Amino acid sequence: MTGDSEKTYRFKTENKFLVKSGCKKRMWRSLKQILTAERTLPWHNDAVLYYSINAPPTFKPTKKYSDISGLPAPYMDRHSKLFYSNAEEFATVRSLPMDITAGYLQLRGANTIVG
Amino acid sequence: MENVLVLKDYKTVPDIVHEYSPTLKFGHIPLVIDNGSYQCRVGWSINDEPNLIFKNLIARPRKDRCKKDAEPPATPPIQIGNDIINIEAVRFQLKTQFDKNVVTHFEAQEQVFDYIFSHLGIDNDGSVPHPIALTEAFVTPNYSRQLMSELLFEGYGVPGVSYGVDSLFSMYKNDIGDTALIVNCGYHTIHIIPVIRGQVIVDHARRINLGGSEMIYYLHKLLQLKYPVHVNAITMSRVEEILQEHCSIALDYQEEIRKWANPDYYEANVKRIQLPYVQAATSSGLTAEQQKERKKEMARRLLEINARKREERLAEDEEQLNQLLAIKDMIEDGDTDEFNEAIKGFDIKSYEDLQRQISNIHMRIEKNKQRIVAAATAEENLETRPTGRLNPPTEPEAFQTWLNETRSKYRELVARREARRARRAAMVKRRTAAAAERMRVISRLAAAGDDFGNQDSDWDAYKSISREADSDSEADGERLMELEEALREYEPPPANSSQHHQLHLAIEPLRAPELMFQPSMMGNLEAGLAETMEYVFKHFSPEDQLLLANNVFLTGGSSQFPGLKERLERELLEMRPFQSTHKVVVAKNPSLDAWYGARDFAGSNEFENWCISKEEYYEMGGEYLKEHYASNKYYKSPAPIVDNTLAPSIDANVVKEEIVVDC
Repeated sequence: MTGDSEKTYRFKTENKFLVKSGCKKRMWRSLKQILTAERTLPWHNDAVLYYSINAPPTFKPTKKYSDISGLPAPYMDRHSKLFYSNAEEFATVRSLPMDITAGYLQLRGANTIVG
Repeated sequence: MENVLVLKDYKTVPDIVHEYSPTLKFGHIPLVIDNGSYQCRVGWSINDEPNLIFKNLIARPRKDRCKKDAEPPATPPIQIGNDIINIEAVRFQLKTQFDKNVVTHFEAQEQVFDYIFSHLGIDNDGSVPHPIALTEAFVTPNYSRQLMSELLFEGYGVPGVSYGVDSLFSMYKNDIGDTALIVNCGYHTIHIIPVIRGQVIVDHARRINLGGSEMIYYLHKLLQLKYPVHVNAITMSRVEEILQEHCSIALDYQEEIRKWANPDYYEANVKRIQLPYVQAATSSGLTAEQQKERKKEMARRLLEINARKREERLAEDEEQLNQLLAIKDMIEDGDTDEFNEAIKGFDIKSYEDLQRQISNIHMRIEKNKQRIVAAATAEENLETRPTGRLNPPTEPEAFQTWLNETRSKYRELVARREARRARRAAMVKRRTAAAAERMRVISRLAAAGDDFGNQDSDWDAYKSISREADSDSEADGERLMELEEALREYEPPPANSSQHHQLHLAIEPLRAPELMFQPSMMGNLEAGLAETMEYVFKHFSPEDQLLLANNVFLTGGSSQFPGLKERLERELLEMRPFQSTHKVVVAKNPSLDAWYGARDFAGSNEFENWCISKEEYYEMGGEYLKEHYASNKYYKSPAPIVDNTLAPSIDANVVKEEIVVDC
């Protein structure tokens, strides 16, 4: 076995978190899990935590941009729900295959039903 | 043609193992590590520049499962940082110790530390005998710091650790005073941190969860959707390069993008990026011309074979005819016996039969001869009229007009077909003008008297109400095919196939960085950079606001977009009171100043006092943090509420700590 995970270094007597391949692995908490756990603790009032410095939600009306060109988009295609800015783009939007329109919607975060 | 930008496709150079000189070994020189979620920068506190700069990425190639039986599975070596020459080759095996801007995956972190210490050449037995200055995210969760300390103290036996915040190091490095509003644009986050008289005002600092990686992802997706043909050529690393070298922040986004609606502006300003491509001629092997030649050659050969067959058959028939004629001669000579012998051999019953056969063969020969003649003339015809009636004139000028005419005819046909399709589609739907018209025609047909059909045009009514493709569209379709073929044949080939492999960037280079100011463009409902800054300002007294606005400090790798400073100044002008002053200062080296600052910190005389020693670690616990000018604030984790009524839930909590999963 010449795997790197088995490689030893002189400055280290044994691996701390690294495990040999094939052994049971420790599951690492994701940031979300860490934050949830952090939230449940009875913190002192003045403690500032990771989740408490999140940026506020935006209060400005979100601007609409054409999905395909990025131009300001006053219109929305009712069929595909894509934004478009002029007649020419509308023709393009109508000719786009499903996967592309779905991709644009997903990129804009508009693919959820709740919207 | 304008200049076309060429992708450089940067390759990394594997790091060398640095020399571990006795000065370092016995001098207890602090090691400075700026552990960023994009890059890690490592160097000794006595050096001017970091020794190692690499992307915090690990590629763990998967084991070859199919070869399992043949030999013990040879695990391919794990590649870290600059070992990864071509990131795209291992894109799906990439791992990082970061979740957003916080280290969460400490097995990966250990591998990175191994990489760091081994490449610095540290060969001390059993421990790393250097105190470490390490950067951590602003407001790092205690849980993460605890594991980091555990790893460093217990895994590597370091004598001391000091944690600091990268953007604060960067601020002190740039020597801009002790009051500033730090705007730190990172790979996953943007931090806005107010510092007043050396005090970090933590509770009014804010973080936007969006950074360079999101911009890369956004631009990547955008280009892939725009050029579905080149999905595989548009790689993340290329997009990263585009973002770093060709993107910028618009001063006034709305105005800037409105300019792009003008086609002339588009033509003059569009950025063309050349993707690598293979010359079409070499890829298809043969040009269209050659393929045509080959086809012709094959047709000719077939004709030849047919002709030869016919000749053979002719000769055969003639031979048989001669024999039969000889037999006929026999009977005419009165040689009945011999005749009877001969016709037995030829399977002929009587004299009449013989005569019939002779006439048959005559006919066959005649037919064959005609065919040979016909084939010869057809061959000539083929030579002279290869494409039927769409034969273009040969002189160039007439050819050009012919070509233009053909093109316009083609376009007209296509338009007609589209119109017909649209009408038919509309007819299927209810309550459209076309459907109403159809109903009208039908009702008129029903009411038509005996004189219907007196004129041929009456029958056109059926064409107009048919929902199926009618004979008109069939005829048009045929004509369209003909024109298409002719155009394909005679249209001059596109000047350069490289143009098919170009990305045209119009608004995209502005659109991706604009995410900073409008996260809503990718469905993120957080406030943008300007709005969040305004929000942060609101929490301070007017005097402090002015102090902060006069020293807005821009740092972090993603702050290097051209135009960001000007944009921020403009936004400040908008949000600040009339005639108040403001100033934006950009870090001298936005991506490296955090390391330089941490280096100065580690090199200072007080460094030892700011270090958490091993004893302190054991006494205070892993999450313990010694506060200093560039550190986070330490809030000791409170003991979890023990709710005795819900005893099982405590168990569940404990178990969660030690979840073990098979790999």
